[in-house]
Amino acid sequence: MGLRGRELPTLPTGGGEASVFTTRLDALINWSRANSLWPMPFGTACCAIEMMASAASKYDIARFGMERMSFSPRQADVLICAGRLPYKMAPVLRRIWDQMPQPKWSISMGACASSGGVFDVYSMVQGIDTIIPVDVYVPGCPPRPEGVIYALLMIQEKVRGESLQDHDLHRAEDPLRTGRQNLPPEVIDEVAVPFGNSTRQNRVSGMVPSHALQRPRDRLP
Amino acid sequence: MSTTGTSRGTRKVEYLVTRTPQMGMDGRPTDVPVMPLAVEPELLGEHMLINIGPQHPATHGVLRLVLELDGETVVRCIPHIGYLHSSFEKLGEYRDWNQIIPLTDRMDYLAPLIYNCAYAMSVEKLMGVEVTERCKIVRVILMEMDRIFSHLLWVGTTAIDVGAFTAFLYAFQERERIYDLHEALTGARITTSATRIGGMMADLPVGWTDAMRHFVDTLPRTLDEIETLLTHNNLWIGRNQNIGVISAEDAVDYGLTGPNLRASGVPYDIRKDRPYYDYETYEFDVPVGVHGDSYDRYLCRMDEMRQSLRILDQALDRLPGGPINVDDPRVILPGKTDLMSDMESMIHHFKLVMEGVRAPVGESWFSVESSKGELGMYVVSDGGSKPVRWHVRGPSFINISALPKMVEGELLADVIAVNASLDIVLGEIDR
Amino acid sequence: MADKDLNESLRDLESGPRTSEAPGDGPRGAAADASSHASVAALRAKFGDAVQHHTVMAGDEHVVYIARERIREVLRWLKDDAAHDYKFLIDVTAVDYGGGRPLEVVYQLWSLTHGRQLRLKVTLPLSALEVDSAVPVWNSANWLEREVYDLFGIHFHGHPDLRRIMMPDNYAEGHPLRKDFPLRGRFSRAEQTRRAMEMDLEDFYIPAELATAGMKEEAPKAPAGVSDASAAAASEPEPGGIRTPNDPDHWSLGSEDSGAGGASAPEGVDG
Repeated sequence: MGLRGRELPTLPTGGGEASVFTTRLDALINWSRANSLWPMPFGTACCAIEMMASAASKYDIARFGMERMSFSPRQADVLICAGRLPYKMAPVLRRIWDQMPQPKWSISMGACASSGGVFDVYSMVQGIDTIIPVDVYVPGCPPRPEGVIYALLMIQEKVRGESLQDHDLHRAEDPLRTGRQNLPPEVIDEVAVPFGNSTRQNRVSGMVPSHALQRPRDRLP
Repeated sequence: MSTTGTSRGTRKVEYLVTRTPQMGMDGRPTDVPVMPLAVEPELLGEHMLINIGPQHPATHGVLRLVLELDGETVVRCIPHIGYLHSSFEKLGEYRDWNQIIPLTDRMDYLAPLIYNCAYAMSVEKLMGVEVTERCKIVRVILMEMDRIFSHLLWVGTTAIDVGAFTAFLYAFQERERIYDLHEALTGARITTSATRIGGMMADLPVGWTDAMRHFVDTLPRTLDEIETLLTHNNLWIGRNQNIGVISAEDAVDYGLTGPNLRASGVPYDIRKDRPYYDYETYEFDVPVGVHGDSYDRYLCRMDEMRQSLRILDQALDRLPGGPINVDDPRVILPGKTDLMSDMESMIHHFKLVMEGVRAPVGESWFSVESSKGELGMYVVSDGGSKPVRWHVRGPSFINISALPKMVEGELLADVIAVNASLDIVLGEIDR
Repeated sequence: MADKDLNESLRDLESGPRTSEAPGDGPRGAAADASSHASVAALRAKFGDAVQHHTVMAGDEHVVYIARERIREVLRWLKDDAAHDYKFLIDVTAVDYGGGRPLEVVYQLWSLTHGRQLRLKVTLPLSALEVDSAVPVWNSANWLEREVYDLFGIHFHGHPDLRRIMMPDNYAEGHPLRKDFPLRGRFSRAEQTRRAMEMDLEDFYIPAELATAGMKEEAPKAPAGVSDASAAAASEPEPGGIRTPNDPDHWSLGSEDSGAGGASAPEGVDG
């Protein structure tokens, strides 16, 4: 159930055909990568505490080979962005991401990292996928350690689905894009359009009663 | 350990700090004074500018320190904050009084219940709402539990900063038990949002007090284990004694609060000086240090945990039955039976749901003793259901501003230890 | 109809929070008996009409309104005089009621020896958001006043290092906690992201840090308003009032403005 019974989609192979040798080699390399992912904990706020709790004894990610939290990005595989990311911190995140050598993956942990969370405000990045490419998003505020572990297992599955033959497909990075944001401006504006509770953020103080019928509906035009 | 009587009653415990004596040259233990580190200008070296953070394992969050170093000695330290600025105070202006409570969890995420309670208490003061006796004692229990919660994390991360990993695991194992208590009460481990204006989100579930008592009874053993690892450990003492010293006058001038201030010898604790929720009726001591260094801050916090256990014991003993929410229609929704039978209750219910709790015109400042120091909540209301201004006096914000004073002349490695000993949380610094 | 409501609400987000609907200048409260608080009585006796108003809020909190010109004198006296001995500055903050009303700077004091609390307020009209700094009196006012400057735009004369603390140094959208500042900021998200990403991390030392380390001050590479411009603007405000970045045509969005200094760009673009 869950991860085990799923069929992974087969990715197109570029160039030569897959031979027994290369698939075995891929399997070996992916196995070793998946079971020794070194997380780079980019913890900013409350989610960082849950990340620490998932590294502690009760939820122990050491059983997945991930107890070596690498605080140097040069030696890390998975960047776990745990917590809200203000604009002041955004270039730091991008730089840390750029400093990580390939192959690298990223987890956006929590609602704030995934979409801005509760903070649809002037200082908060509305989702770190505007800054860096994200592989797995973990919902929750904060996500339970089980959620973090599930995310790590999904990363492991992603790792197992990769192949040396498709190196460009997976791992190509444009050196001109270092230090730049991940999404183009129009896409950023589109994904950051207020929705849901954000549309109800108005400073009616309540001295003037606001009737439910006057409140806008919860959808985009 | 001695208790000194003062004009305000016997309440202060003066800590006689046990310092492991050094072994002298003659084989007998002597007290060797630590040589003060001096900047040596005659060497004509250039000062180096080092940047620590904002992404750094040991800054306890996204804090950036720019250090000017002469060799390894810190000449100047300039902290930069704002890397976690989430504009809670602005967001609070768009939220009803009760909707702000989930925001308070996310500021000090290490002791969320203290923030929940402090905010609810400040708005209740503004509104003139008096909570029930049971609610008061439950809030005292939750606040003391979260004080322990925060100090456990503090000791774990401070130990890991100077290289002692085991204490971190022990502390987190105990914290998992508090997580279970949080979760049983509110459904969430960290972001509890447990209080409401006029009461709590829910009463204590069945069996919670037994679990709490079991925790109170068994925590001292873990504290003893942690102390065995650290308190008389030569390495711990060497890394923490005479490091980050700040005098009492400077501590008051720089606005330090909490264990940071008390370690310098100033016995200011809001639970004793401006007591709330009958704290004056509980028997507990406030540890006060002497030297004002990191080691004294450590001792103060370790003893504070034990004193919190004492308060918890007494509070659990005196926990009464009765309603958890005050029976005030201005703040608390009326019960369903009343709602369906009584027109007035129906109107109150309607107004509370549609418009939210409304506070009268005015303002209120309320401080509680949080695990980090004096937590102040300032709310200004214009009569509506949302605040005009909500300001949080985060203790860590002012504590970290004293860091440059404390690390002048220290070594680079000691900057990390002093920073850790201040027990900062970036959520409340940057708000 | 629903679309109209949604659009109206979105426009609400962009226009900034509605101002406080309370009448008058904000909740001043009824005048209270000065003798109910020892320090207030002494203040009235010593400073006379510098004490503009005294009230009691929330049952037992004494609030005193002080004239702007004498606030530092009052604070220093309250700290130094042994009968009052307010050695502890708990907090400095500000309140904006909106609608063109004056801002208030709030000081919260605590006396360790006498166990007394006191709140002082200074009312500042929008055209003159300046007040003397309390840093010479208490060192804890340093960062507290920086935060008030950053978030409200209130200038503190005599502050040793008045620069932004929460927002980036080159933040050009204004002062966030003002009531005419919208919750989601003045620029679009794409523009905010662009501005954030073009902050050069290498060059991100303030001049004070560079100077004392013996390094030459670099020409600012980020857009106008960064580092030395903001430091200069911080230390000498224009006489007769600070330019508040509240008029819409004050803002320059142009990315082509990234020349150093930019004589044509508005000088107060850092806010």
